[in-house]
Amino acid sequence: MVETILVANRGEIAVRVLRAIAEAGLRGVAVFTEIDRRALHLAHADEAYLVDSYLNPESILAAARLAGAGALHPGYGFLSENASFAALCAEAGVLFIGPPAEAIRSLGSKTAAREVAIGAGAPVVPGSEGAVGSFAEARRVASAIGYPVLIKAAAGGGGKGMRLVEKENELESALRDASSEAERSFRSGEVYIEKALIHPRHIEIQIFGDNHGHLIHLGERECSIQRRHQKVIEECPSPLVALYPEMREAMGEAALKIARAAGYTNAGTAEFLVDGDRNFYFLEMNTRLQVEHPVTELVTSTDLVHMQLEAAFGAELQLRQSDVSWRGAAIQCRLYAEDPANQYFPSPGRIDRLRMPSGPGIRLDNGVYEGWTVPMEYDPLLAKLCVWAQDRPRAIARMQRALRETEILGIANNVAFFRQLLIDERFRSGDIHTGFLNDFVYRPDTTLSEAELDAVIAVLAASEPAAELAIPAARSNWSRR
Amino acid sequence: MKRILVGPDSEKEIDFEPGEYPLATLETGTALVLRGGQVHRVTYANGLLLVNGKQVRLSLADPRNRRRNGNNNADSGRRDVKAAMPGKVIKILVEPGQSVEPAAGLLILEAMKMQNEVRSPGTGRVTSVHVKVGDTVASGQALVTLE
Repeated sequence: MVETILVANRGEIAVRVLRAIAEAGLRGVAVFTEIDRRALHLAHADEAYLVDSYLNPESILAAARLAGAGALHPGYGFLSENASFAALCAEAGVLFIGPPAEAIRSLGSKTAAREVAIGAGAPVVPGSEGAVGSFAEARRVASAIGYPVLIKAAAGGGGKGMRLVEKENELESALRDASSEAERSFRSGEVYIEKALIHPRHIEIQIFGDNHGHLIHLGERECSIQRRHQKVIEECPSPLVALYPEMREAMGEAALKIARAAGYTNAGTAEFLVDGDRNFYFLEMNTRLQVEHPVTELVTSTDLVHMQLEAAFGAELQLRQSDVSWRGAAIQCRLYAEDPANQYFPSPGRIDRLRMPSGPGIRLDNGVYEGWTVPMEYDPLLAKLCVWAQDRPRAIARMQRALRETEILGIANNVAFFRQLLIDERFRSGDIHTGFLNDFVYRPDTTLSEAELDAVIAVLAASEPAAELAIPAARSNWSRR
Repeated sequence: MKRILVGPDSEKEIDFEPGEYPLATLETGTALVLRGGQVHRVTYANGLLLVNGKQVRLSLADPRNRRRNGNNNADSGRRDVKAAMPGKVIKILVEPGQSVEPAAGLLILEAMKMQNEVRSPGTGRVTSVHVKVGDTVASGQALVTLE
């Protein structure tokens, strides 16, 4: 019987998983690097151990041994989709909370996942059979399927190692760039080629399976609002699927076919692209918990992390496909330390002020606190702000209210960007695609009314005496170190 | 009370009565100002303010202090290109003496696994490069001087 679980991650997802562990009445173990000594996730753990990197399997398994952890939750990113790490855990007698290593292996590489999908009879985007071995082969494949094409890293995700190629004369350099970026990011330079769909939607299906042969889907998430191929807003239901409910069943069934073929258990996500004629194509399987899992939890009244623990411990899934129901609408905004006015460039630094929203229908999965310095070494995700309401218009209104309550000072962030996005007519109509943000111009509103200027002056004047003390701060006895 | 309201690109002289608008401090760094029955929420730290969610950089200066240290480094035509964000210098694309066009790449900074090219704000000549590859730079740190 497992009593202690190590969470091999940081930030908001480590907090999320440690919370689930506490709710299950188990002991939670955090790991942290030197940089993360003061990170928030430590406060949610019963024990915490220093590791040299979140990517070092030996270091993390040594912490598991020290803590006597019988199981390990990998979160997302880092080692979560590393089949050899899952196998190493098994060898060390630590239960890996996720799919079996073989399923990660057969679906982890995008090219292998494509083959599984084709074998299972699920639709895929036209493209190369597997990884392309040479420029000559790439040229042959690309001209056969027609430009524009996308070059993608076989081991990749998050847009790394990905290049859009409009014409054949761009192919060779794009191939080289994609492959070297893939090599740096994923230690594998393998790339493959797919036809680039014009203005597709990104819609994904949450699946879940136990070790007793039960496999269900929990419907879709719309993730079309992306910058640099990374999602910033996710919704359930998809505004498109809400109009054509039969899509949920069809996509759900396709996702389950692939999962069955791969012997999948635990939580996973099948990503699809959907074209203008509502044809959907399997893109890849994420063999882990997704960043955007909360919107599914809010609409289906489930707790996916809790289900992950139960399934890993061998329990039979109680929820059957016919029991899954979808109620209302949920939206998630990913609050990032990045500057939407400067190509979304990451903005690490000290959070001088942090005001987070609360109240009806709000779920905040937060990984930071006021006074903390967001390190430059890791992903800039600060927190996930989610709302639930009876329908999409009301969920949007609720998110607008929540964003009014949200204030972050000290680092560039995308709170004001979301405020502008949520009043955008096209976003509100639900007519969105993965290129949506390329056409969206963010204009930060910094014009103050007379009354607001007076308010500023009142605040500045009230804090003035402190600033005007004759003793420079550095020489006073009160200087901070 | 006479003050100068200093913004990032402009200043203006103002004259106001202290305490003219009632102000209530909530938690440290957030105040509510009531004006004509309307509530304005101001959160502030280190010269940055969020006014009803809009971020501005404003401060008050005392005109008497101003005159003393006027005439500060008169415009010599030199300007520093500063790091907009903290990061690590990955590559330097220019060397001293080189002429640059507007938007020419000067160097590449990396933070959170993203690379960003720092570009020239205008036409000029590089007089010095203050960093080297591998350096970690803070936000606002001078990277390159142009003239």
